[in-house]
Amino acid sequence: MSDEIGYFQVGNVTLRAEPARDACFTVVYRDAEMHEYDDASDTARRENLHRHMTNEITSLEIAAACLYEFPDAPWELRLELARQCWDESRHVRVLHRRLLEVGGYKGEFPIGTLEWNVTCALDSLIGRLTTQNRTLEAGAMDVVGILARNVRASGDDETADVLEGILADEVQHVRFANRWIKRLVAEDRRQLMKVAHAVRFLMEANSKFQIKDGGELNVIGVQLASPEARIPAVNVEDRKLAEFTDEEIHEILRQAGFRTLVPNPVPA
Amino acid sequence: MLKSVSARADAVGTFRHVSVWLMETVARWTPSTPEMEAKVMFGRHIWDYAQMADALGKRTFELRRHEHYTAPPSAGYDAVLKDASAARATGDRISALYDGILPGLIARYRDYIAGTDKILDEPTIVIAERIVRELERQRAEASDLKAELKLASGSGPLLAAREKAVRSMLAEAG
Repeated sequence: MSDEIGYFQVGNVTLRAEPARDACFTVVYRDAEMHEYDDASDTARRENLHRHMTNEITSLEIAAACLYEFPDAPWELRLELARQCWDESRHVRVLHRRLLEVGGYKGEFPIGTLEWNVTCALDSLIGRLTTQNRTLEAGAMDVVGILARNVRASGDDETADVLEGILADEVQHVRFANRWIKRLVAEDRRQLMKVAHAVRFLMEANSKFQIKDGGELNVIGVQLASPEARIPAVNVEDRKLAEFTDEEIHEILRQAGFRTLVPNPVPA
Repeated sequence: MLKSVSARADAVGTFRHVSVWLMETVARWTPSTPEMEAKVMFGRHIWDYAQMADALGKRTFELRRHEHYTAPPSAGYDAVLKDASAARATGDRISALYDGILPGLIARYRDYIAGTDKILDEPTIVIAERIVRELERQRAEASDLKAELKLASGSGPLLAAREKAVRSMLAEAG
């Protein structure tokens, strides 16, 4: 493990300390501390782009950490992670470009690094693939799928095009993780314990920072809904492309109250 | 200079070691470097180095070693790599890698190309020429980044001089 970035304690949970950030950024931990808006204003649009851009920085850092902290991983898996680093860095660039185009700037809003704090606290590569790629990036497929559609419906085709391009890359990041998790478990059943541990750890860590039951006001005075009401509709089409099984998709749908994102019509 | 298949395999395996080292070093720097623009550049270069290592690793198999055969470099060269990877500030890191290590590495690839059989070893030459182009592009990108972020010049020239003083990167040659 790298000794450059340490750990910190939140209750009974040990998390990885923050990755380095430009001085212009303010890092926060709870969704209620983020500037989440409930309207379609220009400020809300900039905040959304800013949030996605900085989430992509975190995804890049997680993939990079998997490369240097697990040097004995199979070479083909390391290649996938290296490619993911490039993909995430391009996502940062394209979102930054769009943010500047709509009048925003780096550091305009608070940011989170929780995906890093949680994922990089895990000491197994299969655990990290389970939390980051299979769970959090898969969840991002749901979020970005909806967002791209809403943004296009609002008339912002440029941002929608950017988001759809990113989504295509994310499908591959989730797919290679699903493939490798299955392969590693098939080779050694004990790996399944690490997968289960990672899922429990993510849930426990999340519980420390998520919105309170019943909802709460965020720092800019917007009422945020309860955690269960914030689960996005499931992007079934892309989850299938990412090779989730029908049983897995059914379970995810059940957790989302069977709300699905209706697939885009296939052009004739 | 590189008459035997075995000698070529050792050289290619050593170049592969350096490519993996570059990939891991830049990956390690990515979370601990503050500037977003530097992280973004590192992200691209991580993938470059991984592809270089992959191509070299496939070539070692063709040269009668196992796939992704990797040979550690000479002690002198390894010491220079270790010193480069210890850089902490962003300016030092960029300088150590792109001004300190890469110029010498490009020269060593060119030496390999000049010293091997142009026909028998053409598959390695094609890979090495592609790598040289990529490394030169990276140096240009790093130069642009230094100007954009107004980074200090760092220890690159000093490291480059030390790298140059190491006669061979191959382990048995010292």
